[in-house]
Amino acid sequence: MPVLEVRNLSVRFATVSGGTVRAVNDISLEVERGEVLGIVGESGSGKSQTWLGVMGLLARNGRAEGSARFDGRELLGLSHGALNELRGARMGMIFQDPMTALNPFLSVGRQMTEVLQRHRGMDRRAAERECIAALEMVHITDAPRRLAMHPHEFSGGMRQRVMIAMTMLTRPDLLICDEPTTFLDVTVQRQILALLDELRQRFNTAIVFITHDLGVIAEIADRVIVMYGGRVMEQADVHTLFASYRHPYTEGLLRSVPRPDVTSHGVLATIAGNPPDLAHLPAGCPFAPRCVYCEPRCATQMPELLDVGPAHWRACHHVGALGKLGTAA
Amino acid sequence: MNALREMGEDSALRAPALLEVDDLSVHFHVPGSGWKQRKRVLRAVDGVSFSVAERETLGIVGESGCGKSTLARALLRLVPTSGGHLHYAGRDLLALDAKSLRPLRRELQIIFQDPLAALDPRMTVGQIIGEPLRALRPELPRAERHARVLAMMQRVGLLPNQVNRYAHEFSGGQAQRIGIARALAVEPRLLVCDEPVSSLDVSIKSQVINLLQDLKTERALTLVFIAHDLASVRHIAQRVLVLYLGRVVEIASRDAIFAQPMHPYTRMLFAAAPIPDPDAARRVRAAPVRGEIPSPFDPPSGCAFRTRCSFAIERCSAERPRLRDLSGGQVACHRAEELLTQTIPLPAPDAGDAHAAASWS
Repeated sequence: MPVLEVRNLSVRFATVSGGTVRAVNDISLEVERGEVLGIVGESGSGKSQTWLGVMGLLARNGRAEGSARFDGRELLGLSHGALNELRGARMGMIFQDPMTALNPFLSVGRQMTEVLQRHRGMDRRAAERECIAALEMVHITDAPRRLAMHPHEFSGGMRQRVMIAMTMLTRPDLLICDEPTTFLDVTVQRQILALLDELRQRFNTAIVFITHDLGVIAEIADRVIVMYGGRVMEQADVHTLFASYRHPYTEGLLRSVPRPDVTSHGVLATIAGNPPDLAHLPAGCPFAPRCVYCEPRCATQMPELLDVGPAHWRACHHVGALGKLGTAA
Repeated sequence: MNALREMGEDSALRAPALLEVDDLSVHFHVPGSGWKQRKRVLRAVDGVSFSVAERETLGIVGESGCGKSTLARALLRLVPTSGGHLHYAGRDLLALDAKSLRPLRRELQIIFQDPLAALDPRMTVGQIIGEPLRALRPELPRAERHARVLAMMQRVGLLPNQVNRYAHEFSGGQAQRIGIARALAVEPRLLVCDEPVSSLDVSIKSQVINLLQDLKTERALTLVFIAHDLASVRHIAQRVLVLYLGRVVEIASRDAIFAQPMHPYTRMLFAAAPIPDPDAARRVRAAPVRGEIPSPFDPPSGCAFRTRCSFAIERCSAERPRLRDLSGGQVACHRAEELLTQTIPLPAPDAGDAHAAASWS
């Protein structure tokens, strides 16, 4: 059984002017135990709101509809208290900026031990020992001394390690990472990716890795979901997605990015236009206004997510071959 | 003039230097914390030398805290320098007073990483793009200025009817186009781009890179392109300079440096870049990355990289390596020849993180 099963999830936000922002539209997906599910998308793709919706962390004007079952248990509509039980103990979330999740006034030790005292009923001594072990697990040296330090005394990479250590204290079944390496340098990013992979193997934790960076996806993900305009455009295992993508948007993303390992010359392929305005989504496919393969019905009719191969789905009306944006560099 | 010596395909084509940077330093004096209140010196740029030829694109790469942005600002004299020389088109920029610098401001322009932060929220797009013209070309009649603003907007892909809109009404990609239009309105010769595409969406990044390249050719611009994103530097730059803790560790032509990075730091940095190809990415995953960048307040003695370097020997802590010519490029490493000829075996990837540097104190 998948650790998380999302069915027909939609997330809506009421705007001040009385409008509605449709951030996530009718998404269904599963997360299997011990896998890394990569979620790719740009701003406005709904990649973050999907998971905030699942975790019950939406802003006050937001509402999630549909179903999200964690280990068989429905999360949507769960009481605040029941959600808090699950969130601390069995589901964790790591954000782009660790400072948004760490309290600047409290020592790292105090914040970490609190998790164990609260969720595992440990006394402070035992909790501290466990926290030192957790910091060592994420390769932070001199851990006992670090416990007394405050978040600002750590570098960005170290702070993200602290966050990971803190989240892993309760050995969660599901860890959601929302752009955890976007603010970090590539050398530090490499270390964090290796660390997440290590933890996944050790504890069989399922990891959802949200990013706009296809390079990071290629490194860490087992399966990939490509999102645009609050919808799933394409879904496949990582090798299939990069080698035989079937969606024009995926093609655009992969073809327009210069690569660090190949010298490209001349003009880069581009996706014309700008990311969608979620308050005014087109009736049909959200990518249609920017799509080079756009057909008349794309503007009016949202294509269904249909399988195009084993464990490979896409939502697109276009039947012919892709390739207008050139082949691999 | 060593920096001008260049091997490879473009050696014969290289024009004389438009910008020459010699031993440039920018030190910040930061008030100390705690009861001692000792002033500390942050060497953001520490003895940097390089040159940029006319119509060349020089890429500058490095991690946060390496001094990229400070260097960018120093090149335009937007931050006070602490030492060294800076020559633009044969003129000593650091010797000029504010008044004599002013005519040169037209020729030296900059675009920034966060396009929205760089635009005044109370000004319309027309005012933003027109302001450098008003300040630096006051002789232009108003109508002429307006015509130039509209032409510039059109050139960067904005609609002329957006001229009275405010910056916040634009997306990040469009805001960067406004920043580019503002910088190019006064027809500069040198454009410094400080992480111009880092904050943009993937699909917008390539649009802006293409625009910069088109404008470069069309207007015979010289570009200094600063980025931490190796892929865009590899695409756009003809030569690449690598900074580490305010110092140049390597300069070489794009083709040479990506084919064979000479400095151990360049190797580590390049190996760390994620590759958008699962097969390739997983092959190189084991690339060793050690520690984090040390505090610029207290850089290691000798070679600043030695605390993270797998090849460091005693000499590296005793003596700061000079930037010297090697194999058509320049490198600051005592062991560069040995590394180049592979006479030292590559050490095994570092298992733990024994060298994880202490946090900035």
